[in-house]
Amino acid sequence: MEETPRLNFMWHLVWDFRAELLRGLLTAFEVAITALILSLFVGLLFALMKMSRFALWRGIASTYVNVFRGIPALVSVVWVYFGWSLLFGYNFTVYQAGVIALTLLYSSFFAEIFRSALEAVHKGQREAGQALGMSRLRIFRSIVMPQALKIAIPNIGSMYIGMIKDTSTFTVIGLAELVFVMQSINAEYFQPFVLFTAAAGLYVAAAFLVDFVFRIVEGGLSYPKVGRVKRFLTRRKRAQIQRLVEAN
Amino acid sequence: MNALISLRGIRKSFGTSEVLHGIDLDVYPGSHTVIFGPSGSGKSTVLRSMNLLEEPTEGSVVFEGVEYGPGIPGDATPRGKKIDLRRQVGMVFQQFNLFPHLSAIDNIALSVHAVTGKSKDEALERAAQELKNVGLLKWAMNYPAQLSGGQQQRVAIARALSLDPKLMLFDEPTSALDPELVGEVLAVMRKLAETGMTMVVVTHEMGFAKEIGDQCIFMDQGYIADSGGADFFDTCTNKRTKEFIGSVL
Repeated sequence: MEETPRLNFMWHLVWDFRAELLRGLLTAFEVAITALILSLFVGLLFALMKMSRFALWRGIASTYVNVFRGIPALVSVVWVYFGWSLLFGYNFTVYQAGVIALTLLYSSFFAEIFRSALEAVHKGQREAGQALGMSRLRIFRSIVMPQALKIAIPNIGSMYIGMIKDTSTFTVIGLAELVFVMQSINAEYFQPFVLFTAAAGLYVAAAFLVDFVFRIVEGGLSYPKVGRVKRFLTRRKRAQIQRLVEAN
Repeated sequence: MNALISLRGIRKSFGTSEVLHGIDLDVYPGSHTVIFGPSGSGKSTVLRSMNLLEEPTEGSVVFEGVEYGPGIPGDATPRGKKIDLRRQVGMVFQQFNLFPHLSAIDNIALSVHAVTGKSKDEALERAAQELKNVGLLKWAMNYPAQLSGGQQQRVAIARALSLDPKLMLFDEPTSALDPELVGEVLAVMRKLAETGMTMVVVTHEMGFAKEIGDQCIFMDQGYIADSGGADFFDTCTNKRTKEFIGSVL
């Protein structure tokens, strides 16, 4: 009877290469957070275009959203990294290509998230601002946007987790993110089970961390105020109001 | 005496259906106009055209000698921007429309800071005064969700007054309130009326309308069907008006 080969899991590899793996995860975080910041701005811009009175702007925004929402991250990054170079002779670094690919993709999702959040703000809010004689910019900045952001923030958090995960496809252009690092270690030790499990664990840990951070942000945007962070940040203002209440 | 605000020939259409068929109305400084009538009669639309929240399809909205509406063709009245009209006219809504993400005091302070350009500290002080006037200073740090409907509406009134309006518009200010909370809001409005503030009030509170109204307007199906002075409720002879008053009282 043939003997089943004994499974030999080299779990110590995870510990031995902890610095490399964590650096890979950090790279994923970095690319994703840069892309997140850019996508939020680009997404908001397209959301506003989608809500514009002018059909041309609405058309441009809808086309943008439908095109880039439909392209997978892998295809997008290959196109940006290799395609751009072929067409225009300009070479992005892998880091830049990753950020651009993610931004194109996720800004189209954010455009939809912001549009629905902005539309969810009750129309009486804008009317109240108008009736008080506030400028359009002021109404947007101080009344509509804070309420819309609070509605959008859980979705933004989920999207950010998606962005971190999508960086794993950038291994094809050689971005030294987590999967890339893991595969290099695997090439040497051939321990796919151990290394993929480690990668999965790290991605899940990252998701928990992001969730935790976004909950704090959500608490800060919520009203009435929730959470110690918000109370801490508003302590001076509250003391000032307390003085006013006592003085009058 | 010149009217503070004059509406002439106001027509308003939503799509193909016309809801106001030519409204003429003058509101004099210090007067209290009450507008009532069945729902869908256009009374809120008339009120909302006074600060151009509803832009009339046709007609003239002249406030202190300046035209803010579409105007009358060939008329040489100087024209002004909507935002300048709104800075002189306060409005109170049926649904309060407080900003839910700001505390009571910040609802007022933001408005003062954003509209008058006063510093944030000055704006807070003004806001505290206005809250005190409506008896809600102790609730300054509460958010709208932590206030009763009556308290929210009083904050909304304080917010409008913090900008020193020359005219106050009230759009069914007590219709969304539980019956036991109506009194506190009417008390604030009564106090305001006694200070000589010019007010236009759309309301179903006939007792209150009778008490403060010195110009009474009954609207029906997009027309001013009947109108009169302070004694309107006792002297009106129009059958439809009497029917309506009878059915509400």
